[in-house]
Amino acid sequence: MSRKRALISDAFNLKKRKNGTEQFGATAAEEGPADIKSSLEYLMTLFPRKLFNDALPQIVLKHQLYSIHSDRTLVDKELNKMRERGDLLMFQLGFDAEAFGLVFTSDYKAKVLVGEEGKTTQTTVERFLEKVVTVCTDLSFTKDKMLKEFLFTDSEITQLVKSGVLTVRDAGSWWLSIPNSGKFTKYFIKGRKAVLNMVKKSKYGEVLKAEIEERRTNSQVKFHMKYHIHDIVGAELVESIPTTSGTLLRFVDS
Amino acid sequence: MLGFLTARRAGLDDPLRLRRAESTRRVLGLQLNPDRDVDRIHGNGINTIDIEAVEGRYMLSGGADGVIVIYDLENFSGKLQYTCKAVCTIGRSSRYVHKFSVETVQWYPYDTGMFVSSSFDKTMKVWDTETLKPAEVFQFEGNVYCHHLSPIARKHSLIAVGTTNPKIQLCDLKSGSRIHILQGHRAEVLSVRWSPRYEHILATASADSKVKVWDVRRASGSLFTLDQHNGDKSKASSEAVNTAHNGRVNGLCFTGDGLYLLTTGTDDRMRLWNSATGENTLVNYGKVCNESRKRLQFTVSRGCSPEFVFVPCGSSVAVYTLHTGELVTMLRGHYNNVDCCEFHPDYQVSSSDLSPNNLGAQAVKFVLLLFCCCLVKHSACVDRIGSS
Repeated sequence: MSRKRALISDAFNLKKRKNGTEQFGATAAEEGPADIKSSLEYLMTLFPRKLFNDALPQIVLKHQLYSIHSDRTLVDKELNKMRERGDLLMFQLGFDAEAFGLVFTSDYKAKVLVGEEGKTTQTTVERFLEKVVTVCTDLSFTKDKMLKEFLFTDSEITQLVKSGVLTVRDAGSWWLSIPNSGKFTKYFIKGRKAVLNMVKKSKYGEVLKAEIEERRTNSQVKFHMKYHIHDIVGAELVESIPTTSGTLLRFVDS
Repeated sequence: MLGFLTARRAGLDDPLRLRRAESTRRVLGLQLNPDRDVDRIHGNGINTIDIEAVEGRYMLSGGADGVIVIYDLENFSGKLQYTCKAVCTIGRSSRYVHKFSVETVQWYPYDTGMFVSSSFDKTMKVWDTETLKPAEVFQFEGNVYCHHLSPIARKHSLIAVGTTNPKIQLCDLKSGSRIHILQGHRAEVLSVRWSPRYEHILATASADSKVKVWDVRRASGSLFTLDQHNGDKSKASSEAVNTAHNGRVNGLCFTGDGLYLLTTGTDDRMRLWNSATGENTLVNYGKVCNESRKRLQFTVSRGCSPEFVFVPCGSSVAVYTLHTGELVTMLRGHYNNVDCCEFHPDYQVSSSDLSPNNLGAQAVKFVLLLFCCCLVKHSACVDRIGSS
């Protein structure tokens, strides 16, 4: 949109980038909206597939994107656009009201169908994936909706819960979920706690990001260190401070 | 900046645009002013401040010890170094002083002859500024968390009062009656705010996580309840509906034009709502630290081009851009927790007060940029713009 007059906020250049050519330390480059998909794909590569024997699709948490892009509202808008197009699925992971998991639809469908090979629940799950997941972008479903809109019977709903595609949320409503994701949640929470402790136990409760990425991970941390760092920065469990030696992560006491 | 000045001189731009540009520039350059200070009268923390709307000259402050002080912000001494003097005080020695901490103070919107204060001693007092005696005392059954007088009301003179009782009382200044009650909340009401756009619209926030918008002319209940998921039940973690936050809602603020409403809650989130439809605009401010068990007094700038929100956050004030949610800066300068902020449209003063954990801590520190009001009237010439 071309403007006849410039916006006042542009004149004061709210997004100041003082560094011309020199960049102190290691800084993450500012990316535009089109690059949210590429940062999603980058985060997906950090997900350890071997750990789960390739049974799980690659899961990324929504707040990990906040650690890469500074404008959260823009990230939210882009994600909603992708969800509406049907490229991306969002899940309520259960351990935190604000932690949403993101999975590419194609990945999800592929893995679920592979997992359902040869089981009795296979046809119901296939029908569910086709009819519901493709059409509806909701995170949860109520009994009314399942029975009337999507025409599933009670026994079929039980089959879906058994297969892991639906998880109980409340009496008569279910979350959309990823089958066999319990292991993921367990390792994730343990790893997050371990990484947070590493930051907390450092001198002054702060550590350089570059340094902690290089550290040897103990047995509690199963995921890539960078995966956890993006998570704790995005969830604001640590403060990310730019310094001349790179980004500093400081533990936030709340 | 020169571009704006030239355009104003040549008549290419509206005068308002230059004023907005200058206000925005000042807000972006806000810093602690080492030259201005305020008289230290309060021994304990300050819970609330209010700057009068008429001239922007007098400031009221209410403290945790029940003391109320009025300061004169104007600097007639001609010197740069200046301490704002306290004009008068309702101290512990006064017969009519509040027994416990003063939670809210507010000037009468039309002149400084009167102000209203409410306190944890379960009373709300309407004071005469001349004699410093209460003209009217309203008694309540529970602690009064907040009250608010509509800044634009012409047809009514109601004071909305939020107490530990879930019912909101409307007290009439003219007749002294308090029969009008708004029912709907299920827990204590932590904050009430009249809309600066429509004199009959009132927003209330409560510890039951709900924010309700009322039209006081209606006989039936609230107009609508704000829902953080915008009706999309699938996102909520349980079947409980229509909550504005996932914890207590303790801060409410309308924007200057009354089109948007900001709410803060103890779930460490701040949300921006469209005040006409009640829709959550889904602007993501990130984690807005909120540990207050009472009302959180925060403020929105008026007259800047991207509007800014000033929220007390620990011992500093966080400044966010209103519509994009970006954290612009943190204003540091206080030694202890900041309790409330107020925005002065001419001076871009963001006065923040604090509650000390130990006695004898700072009273008020001003963050001030000097400003000359004739900026808008004379096109090119700006007498003195000093920033520190």
